[in-house]
Amino acid sequence: MSVAVQPEKILRELRELWDELGRAEETPGGVLRACAMTLLVAAEERGEAEQVRKTLGVLMHDHPSRAIVLRSQEGSGVGARVFAECWMPFGRHQQICAEGIEITAGGAEMSEVVHVLLPLMVPDLPVVLWCRGGRAFTDPAIEALFPLADKIIFDSAAASDAKAALQLLRSLHARGRRVADLTWTRLTGWREVLSQLFDDGVLDPDAVASVRIVHGGSGASTCALYLTKWIEQGLPGARVMVESASDEPGIRAITLLGGSAEVSIRRTGPSCVEARAGGRSYRTPLPPVTEEALMREELSILGPDSVFDRVLA
Amino acid sequence: MNVANPFADPLRFDRRVPECTVVIFGANGDLTKRKLMPALYRLAYERRLPASFAVLGNSRTPLSDDAFRDKMHEAVKRFLEDSPFDEDIWTSFARNLYFTAGDLNDPELFSKIGAKLGELRRPNVLYYLSTQPSYYGTVVDGLGAAGIGESRPGGWRRIVIEKPFGHDLESARELDTRIHKVFPEEEVYRIDHYLGKETVQNILAFRFGNGIFEPLWNRRYVNHVQITATESIGVEGRGAYYQEAGALRDMIQNHLLQVMATVAMEPSAVFEPDAVRDERAKLLRSIKIMKPEEVPLHAVAGQYRGFRQEPGVDAASQTDTFTAATFYVDNWRWAGVPFYVRSGKRMPKRTTDIAIQFNTAPHALFASQDGGPPTRPNLLILRIQPEEGISLRFMSKQPGSGMRLRPVSMDFNYGSSFGERSPSAYETLLVDAMVGDATLYTRQDMVEASWRAVQPVLDDWASRRFDFPNYEPGSWGPAEADAMLARNGHRWRNS
Repeated sequence: MSVAVQPEKILRELRELWDELGRAEETPGGVLRACAMTLLVAAEERGEAEQVRKTLGVLMHDHPSRAIVLRSQEGSGVGARVFAECWMPFGRHQQICAEGIEITAGGAEMSEVVHVLLPLMVPDLPVVLWCRGGRAFTDPAIEALFPLADKIIFDSAAASDAKAALQLLRSLHARGRRVADLTWTRLTGWREVLSQLFDDGVLDPDAVASVRIVHGGSGASTCALYLTKWIEQGLPGARVMVESASDEPGIRAITLLGGSAEVSIRRTGPSCVEARAGGRSYRTPLPPVTEEALMREELSILGPDSVFDRVLA
Repeated sequence: MNVANPFADPLRFDRRVPECTVVIFGANGDLTKRKLMPALYRLAYERRLPASFAVLGNSRTPLSDDAFRDKMHEAVKRFLEDSPFDEDIWTSFARNLYFTAGDLNDPELFSKIGAKLGELRRPNVLYYLSTQPSYYGTVVDGLGAAGIGESRPGGWRRIVIEKPFGHDLESARELDTRIHKVFPEEEVYRIDHYLGKETVQNILAFRFGNGIFEPLWNRRYVNHVQITATESIGVEGRGAYYQEAGALRDMIQNHLLQVMATVAMEPSAVFEPDAVRDERAKLLRSIKIMKPEEVPLHAVAGQYRGFRQEPGVDAASQTDTFTAATFYVDNWRWAGVPFYVRSGKRMPKRTTDIAIQFNTAPHALFASQDGGPPTRPNLLILRIQPEEGISLRFMSKQPGSGMRLRPVSMDFNYGSSFGERSPSAYETLLVDAMVGDATLYTRQDMVEASWRAVQPVLDDWASRRFDFPNYEPGSWGPAEADAMLARNGHRWRNS
C-alpha cells in the first residue's frame, strides 16, 4: 500500500487499516488498539528494514506505540505505507494491534519529510526518536528531527568517531534535550552487579583505593568512558585505570582493590559474570543486550535519568 | 557496615533484599512448593537476592539438605510460571538451601534452628509460617522460648503469617496476643496475597494517580459496587480444610474485604506503609455491623451439589462454598451505597472483578426513541483476573438515522499496555517483607475490623441449619443471592 506523503492520506489509510482488522474473520473477539507513545525511528539503508520491523514487533508488546519509520533510500522518491503489528496475548481471545507508518525518501527529500511528521504524531502522548545506526551523528536531516522528540535514543557504539558522538550527546544534553545512549544501557547488568557488592556490604566505598576496568576492542570506547566516569563519581577517592584487551568489544572485567581486599567481576560467558569477594564467588546472568531488550529498557524511562545525566555532563 | 551505596540507580536496578535467612516452617507443604520457592528462585534469577541469601526449611519429615534441595528443584521446575528455568542459577541458589527436621511441639527443634542460624551467620532472619494455622501460636511460642525471635543490633527478626489470622474475632485477638509476646507489631507481616497482585495495587494508581475519577467516587454518583471472586473448580482435595473454613472465612473476611477497602478508602497523605494502612483500617472500621435480624437479608450462604461427596467432607456438612453479602460503609463518602461481595466455588468461570455502577443520567432524554434499549447506567469494571484491566461502559449513538443508543465498552488491557512480565504476588510480598515495606501487608487492627464485619454472619449461621445443597455446579449460586440484590432493584453482573 503506497501513498504520496500527505499526512491526511496516511491517516485515512490508517483508519482503513483498523476497519479492515476489525472485520477480519480470524479476529472474532475484535482487535484492541494500543498506543502509549509515538516512536519515530530513523533507520538507515533498505537492508535494515527487516531488522527494524522485527525489533518493533517485539517492542510493541511492551510499549505499544504509533511507530513511524523513516528510511532513507536513494533514488526511490518519496513514499509511505501503513502497517499494523498484531499479536494474540497468551490465553486471551482478543488480538492487540499497534499501528505503524513507513516513510521512504531520498537523502535530499528527507529534510522535507520532517514537515509532514507533525500531524502524524499521536497527540498528548510522548514522542521518542530512536536514531538507529551511526548516521544519526553526522546527518543534518536527522538532526532536524531532534526538536520533535521528548527523548532521543542513540547508540554511540555505532558511531565511527566515539569522541565526536559523545560530544554531540553532551551538547544536546546541555541544550536541555533528554538523550539516551544504548551503549550506556548495555552497561546496566555490569553496573548492577557492582552496585550489589556495595549493597551487601562486601566493600566499604571509602576503603576502595583503585579500580581496574578491562575492556575489549581497540581504541577508546564510549562504553569504557561511561563506566569510568560513573565509578569515579561513586568513588571519588579511588584511582580508576582502564586497560584494553584484544578481545570482543565490551567490558571484560572490573577489579576493585582496597587495603587487603580484592573484589573482581569477570565475564565468564556471553551473558554471565562471576563475582569474587572475600573468598566467596558466585555467578550471575547479565540481562540480554539485544536491540529489543535495550530499547525496552530505554522506553520505560521517559522522565529524567539523573544517573546517566550526571555521567554525560 | 551501614554505608549508603554510591552506585544505587533505582530507576534501572530493582530493589534488592539485604543479607538474610528465610526460615520456612511447613517447608514440605504445598504453599512452599507452589508459591514460595518458585518466587524465591525467580528473585534469584532476577539478581535481586544477595549471593549469601539462605533458606532454612523445616518440617516433621527427616530430610538431608541435599534431599531438600532435590525436592525444591523438582517443585520449582514444575511450578515456575511465565519464566525460564536456568540450571546454573538454580545450582548457585540451591547451595544456600538447608533443612532442619523436627516436630513443632518439640522445644528442641527451636534450639536446633537457633544453632543453625548461628552457623549461617546472616544478620537478618525472616520466619515464614506456612504450617497449618493451628500451629501458628506454637511456633511463635517456640521461637520466643529459644530466644531467637527478638531483633538485635545490626539484624532484624521478622515473621510472616499466612491467613487465616484466627477463625473468628476472639481467636484472632488471642493469636495476636501470643505473637506480640515475641514480635513487636512492626516486625509482624500478615500476608494477604491478594494485596500483592499487581492489579489490586493498580486500583490505588487508578484512583489516586488520576484526577478524573476521584470526584465521581462517592455516594452522589455511585449507585452500588459489586465485588466478585469466583472459581470454576471445587475444593480439589482440600475438603477437610475447606469444611472448617468456608467461603466467608476463606475469601470474604480477608481477600475481598481488603479489596473493598482498597476500592473505598480515602487517599492517604503520603504513600508510606502506615499512612496507607491507616486509611484501609479506617474504611474497614467504618463497615456497618449487621444487626442479628439483618443477617438473613444481607447475607446468603450456598453449597454446591456434590460438595458433601468430596473426600474429607462431612456427609451433612453445613459449610458455605458460596457466600454473598451486602455491606454498607458508614461514612460521609459512602453512606447508603451497597457493596455487594460474593465468592463461590464451582461457578461458571474463574473471575475476580470489581464493578462500580454509576447512577443513570438524571433525565431520560432518549428513552422514547423507537427500537433502542433503555438508557443503561455507566459501569466501571476493574478486572483483577484473568484478563486484568479496566473497562468503562457508556452509551453511544448507533450509526444510522434516528437516535438509537446502545452500550459500548472502552477497554484498557493491563497486559497489552505493559507487556513485561508482572512479578507474582509472592515475589512482591517476599521482597517487601525483607526490605521492611509493610504497605501491602495487613495490620492487626485491619484483621480485627474485618472479623468484626463478618462476625454477626458467622454467629447467625452457626445457629442455623441450611437446606444444602442449594446450587448446581456451573451456576451463579443460589437464587437467594439474586433476591438479595433484587430487593434493592439491582442485579448481579453475570458475564
